[in-house]
Amino acid sequence: MNIQVILFSVFAIGAVASAIATISSRNPVASAMSLVAHFFMLAGLYLTLEAQFVAAVQVLVYAGAIMVLVVFVILLLNLGKEQQLAERGSVIRLTLGSFTAGLFALVIILALVASPTGLNHLAMNAVDIGTTEAIGQSLFTQYLFPFESVSLLLLAALIGAVILAKRSMKEGA
Amino acid sequence: MNFDILGSLPLIVIWLALGVVGIIIQAFVRSDSTRLVYGYYIGTLVTTGLLAAATISNQGTAFGGMVTLGGWAAVFDLLFCGAGVMAMLAAQAYLGRFNSELDEFYTMLVSSVAGMMLMAHARNLVVLFVGIELMSISFYIMAGFFRSRDKSLESAMKYFLLGAFATGFLVYGMALLYGATGTLDYSVMLKVIAAGTARFPVLLALGAVLLTIGLSFKIAAFPFHQWAPDVYEGAPTVVTAFMSTAGKAAAFSAFLAVFGVIMPMVKVASMTPTLQLVLAVISAATMLIGNITAVAQTNVKRMLAYSSVAHAGYMLMGIVAGTTFGQSAVVYYAFAYTFMQLGAFIIVGLLEREDETSLMISDYSGLYRKHGVFAAMMAVFMFSLAGIPPFAGFFGKYMLFYAAIESGFTWLTIVAVASSVISVWFYLGLIVKMYFSEPNPETHEANAGLAGISLAVCTVAVILLGIMPRIITGMLGN
Amino acid sequence: MNPALLTLFPLLGFVVIGLFGKWLKHEKVIGVVGSGAIFLSFLVAVVLFCDLLQMPEESRSYVSTVYTWIATGSFSVNVAYRVDQLSVLFALIITGVGFLIHVYSIGYMHGDKGFARFFAYLNLFVFMMLNLVMASNFLLTFLGWEGVGLCSYLLIGFWYDRKFEGSFITWTGDAAKKAFIVNRIGDFGVLIAMFMLFNIFGTLDYGEISQHAQGVFSMGDTAVTIITLALFLGCTGKSAQIPLAVWLPDAMAGPTPVSALIHAATMVTSGIFLIARTNVLFALAPATMAIVAGVGIATALIAGTIGLVQNDIKKVLAYSTVSQLGFMFTALGVGAFTAGVFHVMTHAFFKALLFLASGSVIHGMHEEQDVQKMGGLKKYMPVTFATWIIGTFAIAGIPVFSGFFSKDEILWNAYIGGGPILWGIGAIAAFFTAFYMWRLTSLTFFGKERFDHHSVHPHESPVTMTAPLVILAVLSAIGGFVGIPHVIGHLINVPNYIEHWLEPVFSSAQAILPAHVGEYSALEWTLMGISTVVAVSGILLARTFYAAGPERAHQLAARFSLLYKILWNKWYLDELYQMLLVNPIYIASRDFLWKVVDVVVIDGIVNGSARTIAASASILRRLQTGIAQNYALLMMAGIVVLIVIVLYPFFS
Repeated sequence: MNIQVILFSVFAIGAVASAIATISSRNPVASAMSLVAHFFMLAGLYLTLEAQFVAAVQVLVYAGAIMVLVVFVILLLNLGKEQQLAERGSVIRLTLGSFTAGLFALVIILALVASPTGLNHLAMNAVDIGTTEAIGQSLFTQYLFPFESVSLLLLAALIGAVILAKRSMKEGA
Repeated sequence: MNFDILGSLPLIVIWLALGVVGIIIQAFVRSDSTRLVYGYYIGTLVTTGLLAAATISNQGTAFGGMVTLGGWAAVFDLLFCGAGVMAMLAAQAYLGRFNSELDEFYTMLVSSVAGMMLMAHARNLVVLFVGIELMSISFYIMAGFFRSRDKSLESAMKYFLLGAFATGFLVYGMALLYGATGTLDYSVMLKVIAAGTARFPVLLALGAVLLTIGLSFKIAAFPFHQWAPDVYEGAPTVVTAFMSTAGKAAAFSAFLAVFGVIMPMVKVASMTPTLQLVLAVISAATMLIGNITAVAQTNVKRMLAYSSVAHAGYMLMGIVAGTTFGQSAVVYYAFAYTFMQLGAFIIVGLLEREDETSLMISDYSGLYRKHGVFAAMMAVFMFSLAGIPPFAGFFGKYMLFYAAIESGFTWLTIVAVASSVISVWFYLGLIVKMYFSEPNPETHEANAGLAGISLAVCTVAVILLGIMPRIITGMLGN
Repeated sequence: MNPALLTLFPLLGFVVIGLFGKWLKHEKVIGVVGSGAIFLSFLVAVVLFCDLLQMPEESRSYVSTVYTWIATGSFSVNVAYRVDQLSVLFALIITGVGFLIHVYSIGYMHGDKGFARFFAYLNLFVFMMLNLVMASNFLLTFLGWEGVGLCSYLLIGFWYDRKFEGSFITWTGDAAKKAFIVNRIGDFGVLIAMFMLFNIFGTLDYGEISQHAQGVFSMGDTAVTIITLALFLGCTGKSAQIPLAVWLPDAMAGPTPVSALIHAATMVTSGIFLIARTNVLFALAPATMAIVAGVGIATALIAGTIGLVQNDIKKVLAYSTVSQLGFMFTALGVGAFTAGVFHVMTHAFFKALLFLASGSVIHGMHEEQDVQKMGGLKKYMPVTFATWIIGTFAIAGIPVFSGFFSKDEILWNAYIGGGPILWGIGAIAAFFTAFYMWRLTSLTFFGKERFDHHSVHPHESPVTMTAPLVILAVLSAIGGFVGIPHVIGHLINVPNYIEHWLEPVFSSAQAILPAHVGEYSALEWTLMGISTVVAVSGILLARTFYAAGPERAHQLAARFSLLYKILWNKWYLDELYQMLLVNPIYIASRDFLWKVVDVVVIDGIVNGSARTIAASASILRRLQTGIAQNYALLMMAGIVVLIVIVLYPFFS
């Protein structure tokens, strides 16, 4: 067993565990912290795939910026321990949900196992692809159009957030 | 790299108008200048639409093969812009009545049109994804635009949660396709798939299914349709009108392109028949569930929502067929459906009252007496939706049914015809209420205003497309 | 002359009256525009007819293209009219009878608040009906086919504020909806047939299909049998045959001119037209032909029996129409296409006459339709009475009147083409026809005056109504002379004009069908004599029964109460439909798909008690405990199933 497999296992199990902790924790702050842990695990996974830039961005943007916002909101809304998140879902739903999710996982695993050539090697130029330079190059040459279009997407989301947050309808009109 | 400036004009114009000029106008002009923004965005859509119409014959690709130009994509642009203009004409008075007219609404509407155009033009899965998200995010916001209404917010939230859930599968599918074929570009992917040289056939199949699922959610096909009635009912009616028509057409434009790529999986364990069968089953179930459930509805918006689910089922038949004829049938039906459904929803919006009432089918009794013109238009839309000649809906259905038969899906056509017989029940139910019932003593006051233009266009189009379907099919033929 | 003019005038009439009806204001103007449009169209039909007459016989058939409707790849359809003997004959009937009924409507609808709307719909109807019969291809026929259904729907529900008693129906809107939906079930068959034909022939053009049919199908092929059966399903819907006959009696909820034009003279005969138009296909499918004949004769008999006991004057006429249509289908089923079409023509005359006369009675009786509350109207309405008697003689099959020739032709062909049993049932049905028609006559025009003299003052109708009655009466009386059977024709040296006229249309089908050679004139004379006796005895029997009013019949009904109950309830056909078709769909929708699946399963079982929480909770809370997750759950289940289906080949 080489180091790659060991690292992958650690990060993968960690990612799944922290994701489960995120949705099952009844304390909002603990939930948010689990999510931070989850993002770190994902960053680790990216690293094992030689995608340094993505890993760094993952930590900076998600675990850093976005989660700070989330925690701020939790604090501002003053969702303490007393105010727990939702009451537990019904047992039936939990069972059915886990069952279908399990089934989905099973099917996916079967599909991967059934792949005739398997998935045990990285593409040859993976080392180059993951670098800042390579990503910058493809974003600003080949993928320029979708990259610029994403700015429209962000703009729409931004305006949407402003609309939903406005206090009264009459202020704007 | 040769660059087709003329062909890419529609995309560039809407991009600049939205992302550069529009923002500046909104940022620097006085905050109560809704009129200006309104006019500006209508102008934007009209210009884009005209440019699209002008570039239909100007086929090619641009931006390094990321987008296709002209052809079907341009025809779809015309549809999106047209529907957008009609929705905007109806929206001003509607939002005003509900005291919710913010100029951001129009920004959102145009940005959703931009998203749709990206979807139709995409020749690369990344562009498709950005388009889908741009459209969806605009829709989420528009659905929740009545922030003081619980239903509106609830519908936005539901749409967002379920939409995000579906997007997960969509992206997963794209990733698997990339893994299996090593490319995101449609044409390259098609070559790999058709040659049967994909590295991981299982992943290819899995990716194709997940992509299908993601798109099926956007068109509200069974079993991914549950959100549609709730969202369509809760959202502001003009928004429902727009997203249930142009939004669906956009999803189909993507469906057409994507299935052109992933369908020919003949060499991969003969996946094509299986995929076709899966789609055929989805299509049959969708139209049956949609039509049968609509029978029992008492709320007009909800009834139309289920009917829109059913129509997604019909349109899928063209995709199932996979032939050129099937594809042009889908395009034709997208137009026919847009006009009739948009018109119907606009009338619902006009009659709707500020306290969220007048939405029941029983509220429409005797409408003919008070608003003869609305009732007549509504009747035309209902007949067309039910597929009665000579209206556009009939011809569209006819083409779709024929396409399915031609590809050997006789059973699917029989299901479709049977379910369209069932659908007559509830479409006629509304007409019977409007024409053959005593008027409701409570008066509904309604003024068409600008929405009258949209309604007139829809009515004329529904009739004209039925009499001269070549208006649409001719655009594709050349 | 361009055949497009034929359809142009009614369309113009519809547009003018529909758009400017409110401004035209005066009933007279609207009436003249509406009737005038049909009259012009009738003139065009006459010109077309004369044109055809001048042509040599073998070339009396041409197609005139108006424009290309659609053309994409292999799929191309024209808006084109086929002018030939069959279509021109139908066009003459439609515009001729249609014009008279339009004129009649000016008087009948006088003072109605929907006067303009009525004429607009009528003109639209004629436009659609002409498209149906003139079409050169299936798709255009189907346009007309659906269009006439649409107009029928609009006109049945025309008096929407009136109550109407029917099976599972309480007002006119329900009757309209029922008619439309039952028709849609039939249209299902036509659509399927059209798709199959296009798939096989690559065209929907009648001419090409008829031409190639014999090369493509061999006798009795499964494909051609299925196609013709599907077509016939459509015909049973439009022409109110068993099993789709239930809508026509309830369609009487519409104004009487509508019943006369649409539900007697024209629209309900489109089933016969379609079979006549596709005669070659039917000739190639003997099994279908047998079914057509069987269904036709069964409908003729059953509808006749129901007509014996009904009391609503229009409903009796409706059942009589169903029964007569059954005769026509019998004729088609035994291969006597000419006889079927001939009966369409004479039936259009006398049934339109009877309906219009009944309308005149209803009008004069202040909207009373129950014959038990009439009687002795002879002296109040002499013109109506006289014309009604002619109509009754014609439908009963009294010699010299038009119905005699056409019905006799059918019965004769039923004998030689279908055997004595088919003929026997037909004769019994003919007997019932004579009986219930004279029953109506007795109860309406003869006997004691059973109405309330204080509130009802019977009076003759205005001349706009009686003039069409007189013209139709003349046609009903002499219309049969165009089809004098050969055995008589030989004696008086008059040819069978209509058979000769239609011969080219049906020649290829007749070539396929088994020919009946031999000399039967003695037999034909005998059968003709028997039918005459049957008709006369039916009238005489009814006369003895009802001469004194309905009392004697009531005693008889009490004695055979079970039979009476079955007939009164129309063999429980409506109940059967309600149970087998309507209820299951509605229950599936309301109680299963919506309540059980959506509300109970998605909201309830899975969710515990979502709705109760949702009602009190805030938005966020509602979403957290609400139904969105359940939707996601269903999606997830769907995803897993789809993946398993697609990946199954890889796993196994």
